[in-house]
Amino acid sequence: MLEIARETYYLYRRNFITWVKMPALVIPSIFISIFLFLVFGASFDGVVTLPGFPIDDYNAFVTGMIIVQAVVFSGSDAGFALVTDIASGFFDKQLLAPINRMSILFGQLLMAGTRALLQTVVIVLVAIALGVEFKTGVPGIIAIIIVSAGFGITWSCLGIIIALQSKSAQATQASFILFFPLIFLTDAFMPEEFLSGWFKVAVMINPVTYVLGGIRAMVISGWDWTPIAHGLWALLGLTVPLVTLATWLYRRSTA
Amino acid sequence: MIEVSDLVKVYPGGTKAVSGINFAVREGEFFGFLGPNGAGKSTTLKILSTLLKKTSGTVKVAGYDVDHDGMRVRQSIGFAMQEVGLDDLATGKDFLVLQGLLYKLSEHESKKRANELLEMMELTYAANRKVGTYSGGMRRRIDLLGALIHRPKLLFLDEPTTGLDPQSRLAIWDYLKRINKDGVTIVLTTQIMEEADRLCERLAIIDVGTIVAEGSPDMLKAQVGGDVVSITIGTAAAHATDEMKAKAKGILTARPGVISATEQNGAMLVTVKDGGSAAPDLMRSLIEGGIHVSNIAVSEPTLDDVFLKLTGKKIRSDSTGGDAMDSAMRAFMGLKKR
Repeated sequence: MLEIARETYYLYRRNFITWVKMPALVIPSIFISIFLFLVFGASFDGVVTLPGFPIDDYNAFVTGMIIVQAVVFSGSDAGFALVTDIASGFFDKQLLAPINRMSILFGQLLMAGTRALLQTVVIVLVAIALGVEFKTGVPGIIAIIIVSAGFGITWSCLGIIIALQSKSAQATQASFILFFPLIFLTDAFMPEEFLSGWFKVAVMINPVTYVLGGIRAMVISGWDWTPIAHGLWALLGLTVPLVTLATWLYRRSTA
Repeated sequence: MIEVSDLVKVYPGGTKAVSGINFAVREGEFFGFLGPNGAGKSTTLKILSTLLKKTSGTVKVAGYDVDHDGMRVRQSIGFAMQEVGLDDLATGKDFLVLQGLLYKLSEHESKKRANELLEMMELTYAANRKVGTYSGGMRRRIDLLGALIHRPKLLFLDEPTTGLDPQSRLAIWDYLKRINKDGVTIVLTTQIMEEADRLCERLAIIDVGTIVAEGSPDMLKAQVGGDVVSITIGTAAAHATDEMKAKAKGILTARPGVISATEQNGAMLVTVKDGGSAAPDLMRSLIEGGIHVSNIAVSEPTLDDVFLKLTGKKIRSDSTGGDAMDSAMRAFMGLKKR
């Protein structure tokens, strides 16, 4: 057990250094978050005056969405890193080493968690700078960051699954277009009560809605356990099958 | 050090890459697989190094079974694959240090060993540069160093110098000879006759997944049974016709001492006892038969002649250029040999 932790740490450290060395990957995700705050804040500013809107600060309402979109959009990064290593032959090099081969997967997933964590920290800082008040205070912020990191790991399994099935960097990146709707098929911009028709149905069955709901509740309503519990259940419901499938596919392709 | 019996590998698509080979390598030996592309050399090394699962047979490496003791096998060996496997964003030194750590060296040992190896391959000046900026020869060398980081007792090299310039090739040959003398058992695959000839104590000649001959380079060459006289017939203006070639072959095989005569790229290759004294007689008989001789050369048999004799074909027409081109094409088309 100790050995696998040691190996995972060294591979994780290498993944981290590689990530930091690619500003082209780091900067856009930070930039997009700030941009979204500015755009949404300006364009939806008026809706907070609608009767029934839960809060009078739209930035606070949209903070959860910005965190979730950042995680969903970097979901392909771990898969992309894996196919890049497969294509360069460096993956074979890792397979040749006398290590538990699961540590290669764990190193990638841990990196995915780190990425989500750092992105969330940046978004929270921007939100605070814009005057967003986190109703759950510092413990809530810490909880949001932890949940987001967990969501990052779970969502990255999807990227890993696509990478292992396609073995193609382009396919792995392109396939994330398919997950793009999952961010918009939520009550990200409007509270659920304002939605109707097929859109409302799609929103209600999309697990991302509930993860988002939990995070948003921690920002705008405080420790409101109903949405938070729903969020955690949705996260668990995604985590179990995705991690299981990614691990199984990975084992199969390296055994 | 290595014991392989009845090794078979059939790929999922149904391609039989290795069809029942047997061989053994002793401790301290320098052993080579010589054969053309697709002969099963890389597949065999990948099975020996636990990267690929065999279909059937038994394989023991460094005393461990590859199926049950994969981890121990991997700890005992170093493997520089045909295509380098490098992390382009890492510096040369970071790459080596990570290799060391994964092979269970401590941080301190890894760094020390990395410096030592960089020094030895004259790469110290590039130690802190990203591997992505390295030239082809440098990439080869750093990849090889990665396989040596844990001082393996057994080293696998899959075409270690294919596509390299002559200078880098000589440097790697020298180094390999040196570590072999220090007790490292080496198994290499190659398509380069000279490499097999100069480095390997014992060779297995492999073609379409089967070992067709095994022995020391000298022993194998002795199998050819004599010297090789190469005779170019026809003139630059009038190339030899098939009819002329057939006629020449008839004349040559009838001469005393001639073991065999074949045609390759417009030249008649005649295997004959004592080529030097037979050459004038061969030439005279051709001229008397009305065949123009434009060139004649006598040589001792090469491993290429051995391969030709055993399989009826050449390993490859050109000894250096082809494969570099090949791998460039593969890289361009995004294909990987697995």
